[in-house]
Parts: sequence; C-alpha cells; structure tokens
Amino acid sequence: MNLKGQKSEMQTQTRQEQELAELIVESLNLEDISAGEIMPEDPLFGDGLGLDSIDALELALAITQKYAIQLKADDQNMKEAFGTLRTLNAYIMQNTS
Amino acid sequence: MNNQRHSPIIDRNPDEIIAFRAGLEVDAAKFISQANALAGRLPKHRYVFNLYSDRYEFLLGFCAAVIAGQCTLMPPNRLDKTLDELASEYPDSYTLGGAGNEDGLNLLQPHDSSHVTDAHDSPLPVIPADQLCAIAFTSGSTGKPSANLKYWHTLKQGTLGNIDLLLKRFNTRLNVVATVPPQHMWGLETSILLPLFANVAISDRTPFYPQDIVDAIESVPAPRALVSSPVHLNALEKSGVPLRGVDVIFSATAPMSMELAQALENRFDTCVLEVFGCTESGILAARHTSEETLWHLSELFELEPGEAGTVVKAGHLSENVIIGDRIEKKGEYRFKWLGRHQDMINIAGKRGSLTDLNQQLLSINGVTDGVIFSPQHTPERLAALVVAPNLKPSDIIDAMKPMVDPVFLPRPVYLVPMLPRQETGKLANAAVMSLLDEISGSGKRKEQS
Repeated sequence: MNLKGQKSEMQTQTRQEQELAELIVESLNLEDISAGEIMPEDPLFGDGLGLDSIDALELALAITQKYAIQLKADDQNMKEAFGTLRTLNAYIMQNTS
Repeated sequence: MNNQRHSPIIDRNPDEIIAFRAGLEVDAAKFISQANALAGRLPKHRYVFNLYSDRYEFLLGFCAAVIAGQCTLMPPNRLDKTLDELASEYPDSYTLGGAGNEDGLNLLQPHDSSHVTDAHDSPLPVIPADQLCAIAFTSGSTGKPSANLKYWHTLKQGTLGNIDLLLKRFNTRLNVVATVPPQHMWGLETSILLPLFANVAISDRTPFYPQDIVDAIESVPAPRALVSSPVHLNALEKSGVPLRGVDVIFSATAPMSMELAQALENRFDTCVLEVFGCTESGILAARHTSEETLWHLSELFELEPGEAGTVVKAGHLSENVIIGDRIEKKGEYRFKWLGRHQDMINIAGKRGSLTDLNQQLLSINGVTDGVIFSPQHTPERLAALVVAPNLKPSDIIDAMKPMVDPVFLPRPVYLVPMLPRQETGKLANAAVMSLLDEISGSGKRKEQS
C-alpha cells in the first residue's frame, strides 16, 4: 500500500509536521523518500514507512537532541504517539513547553 | 561428562529473592510453588513455544515446561513464516503467551500460589541431566533453521561456567535488568538461567528507551547489572539520561568498540564487560573492552581454529560445534577475534546469511537479477541493487517482509538496468560497491525502469 504522490486534503503536512518529517529522513538516512512524501496519517513502523526498532532508538535520540524530551515505551501515550507522523508530532508538542 | 543423573530445577535457598515482579520480591519458595502449579496446567504436548514477553512469565513458563518434561522451542525470529514452519515440523506443540494472532495460551494466574497453603511445602522438582529442555534455532545459509539441542545438564553446567566467568566479583545478590528478550540465548543465559543457579534476582521488565532503562535500574536495589547490546547501549550513552548506580554492564550480540565501552564507563561510572558467544555454544568468553582487545575464554571450553571457522569443544555440550568466527589463540584461555566468516552478517545483534538473503531476493516474482550486501560505510544496514523492470523498490521490500527479519530489509533498494557480473557470473565486491557509489552519488532518489 503506497500512497506516495497521492495527497489528499487530510494528508497535508503542517509546518511542524514537515519539520519532524525532515528530522526523520535526516536522522535515519532514508534515501528513497523525501520529507514531503511522508503522509501524516500513514503508520511509521511496520507498514507504511516501514521503520523498525533500530530506527525507533535512532529517532528517539534525534528527538531528544532536538526537542529535549525523553521517550518512554511504558508511557501509554507514547505507544500511540509513535504511530504516525501526526500523532508523534502531537506528542512532542504536548511534552515541550 | 556429568556426575549427577538428576538435579533440582533451582539451586537457591527458599528465602532467597530470585525476581522482582510488578515491583514485588519473589523468593525461591514462591517461585517453585508457582512453577509447579503451572506445570500441572500445561496441555500435554512434547514441545512448546514460549512467547511470553514479560520476563517473569517467560521464566515461569520455561521452568514449568522443564518440570513437565516438555521442550521449549526457541525460533530465530517472530515472523509468521518461521513460526508456521517450525510448528509444522514439530506438530506435537502448542504456544504459551504471545499476543495478537499468535494464538498462545495464557495459563498464568496473577501471583499464583493458590494451590498450596504454605509455599515452602511445594516439592522441589528434580530434572534428569539428559532431559531435552530447549531447542534454539539459528537461521543459516540453507534457508531452513538449524536446531541446537539444549539438555538440562548443558544449561546447568553452562550457567555454572558463566557464573565463574562473569560474576566472581559479586559476593552479595546481583540484581539484573535486561533490555534483551528472554527468547534468545543471550537473554536466556543471563536473565532466565542465572537466577536459577546464581545469587541473582531479575527484573520482570524489558526496558526499551534510555529513560525506560533508567527507571528499570532504579526499580531494583544495588548491586545492579544491566544486560544489553551495543545498539541499545549506544543510544543510552548518547541520550544524556542520568543513569546511576549500575555496577556492571554486560554487552553481547554484536561487537562493541573500545570507544563506546570507554564512553559508557566514563559517563555512567560503571564497568562494561563484553561477552562473546553464540546460540550453538552459549556464552564462550568475556573481556573488559575499555582496556583490552584479547578475550578471556570460559574454562569450560577448548577452541581449535580451523578452515571453516573454529571448533568448540566442551564436556557439557552434546557435540562439538563449529562457529563461523576466526580466532587466534594467545595463550591458555586467551584469544584474539579475527572476524566472521564472509557469508555471515550481524545487523543490530541479529545474525543472518547473505547467501540466504540473496536467494530470497532472487525468488521474488519480477526480479530478474539482484544483489543484497553490506556496504562498508554503513555496516548497520544492508543495501540492494536490483534488476526488476516492472517493479518499484517498495514492491521489493513488501515482497521481502514476510521472508526476513525487519533488520535485514535493505535500505536503500536501487533499481539498475543490469549488474556488473563477470563472465563466470560472479560479482566482484569492488564492482558492486562502485556501482552503489555511482548511483547514490548522482541524486537522492534514482528510479530506473
């Protein structure tokens, strides 16, 4: 299931989502997708973008370095947050002042 | 070579703490009564898949199976394809635990010791030395997982050797937090077998992010050990979390650099002991990586360098094993590691065979040629060059997903018109690398038809 190039209104990135998408592409060295192509409501892990657990650690580090928050897997909100670009961005916004 | 025909499932005094479960201490007596109760409830089959993700539940399930005379199957990964293949090869089996579509049974009841009035009355099960307790599967270049048989005496003697190799400096109970799953040998030997035979208590947690690790460490008393792997430890070191109070970090599954070991020791005021072993033999050796390059071999083993790898001999192994590593002996019980056999790769601590992965790539419908390999400059990911006129890179990834562990999925996949094969059909490393450089150098996204 590949939604590349098929943007709908709901899948347009906000400014902060775009910034986060750029962070994802850069910190994970994703070579075959550009930040603008990450659909905000596609899964990041498993299907969709297809990130794995090594990526989770790398990305968590990049998020810590940029937004100064520490992710926790035990946090129920965190489990949902990592689902899509949109939910991850919302989690970051909620947890930074 | 063992003198005991039977030995107890656990070698601890009844009042000794063996685990922390949901923040509460569990002593050996309570553990025995819970394991006995669970053993009585297990369906009657020869083999069991233990998919409990909670470490204490895995421990209970593992020991209950041993008590009931059942053998735990340990698959090399959690892919449906792998589990289905093993289940059809071992039809007299069932699944404990697991989530989602794995259809596992959860036979545990919370804080279960309801069947006995006093935990101390529960009989201590003894296990025959030659009982087959586990089969640990490794994926190899044949495509089919190979079976490594673990008998009770192998697990016990191996653990006694590990205690000697790793825990001599601790004379009070060591409290262990592990980031690694109990379903593979590294996690099994450290977080499941150690509390049975050593003065060790394990946390039921499996922390993932650096902050989770800090929380888990704080949840157990000193002295504390962290059992982990370089991928996690690297993230931990760089995260800046205030980890304190870890007396020793044990690292295995992939090589650790001296730089990372030093950085961990400096930042967290701790000692890092790197451990070398494999599924076939169990833990073999250890070293203090921040200051030495030679390994200390466990005195249970004898190593003989050979053509195909190294022969490992030990009294407690049911047969000699050959490991795909090259070593050079440097004195009694000291050796230098020279590298792995070319076919074997290690990505984030998972072992794979390039031959196997290439066969799977070529088996995809629409792929007429291709190569998957480990580019020198990014050892943490595989890359692929593929000839597939009617496919997109994402089609190839999607086709590989059900066949291989996620860490082996190539990133990136580049489509090329043809591969630089020689007349013999062989692909020279240098030719592949320079093609990769050419393609990735000329633009971020290059799709060719």
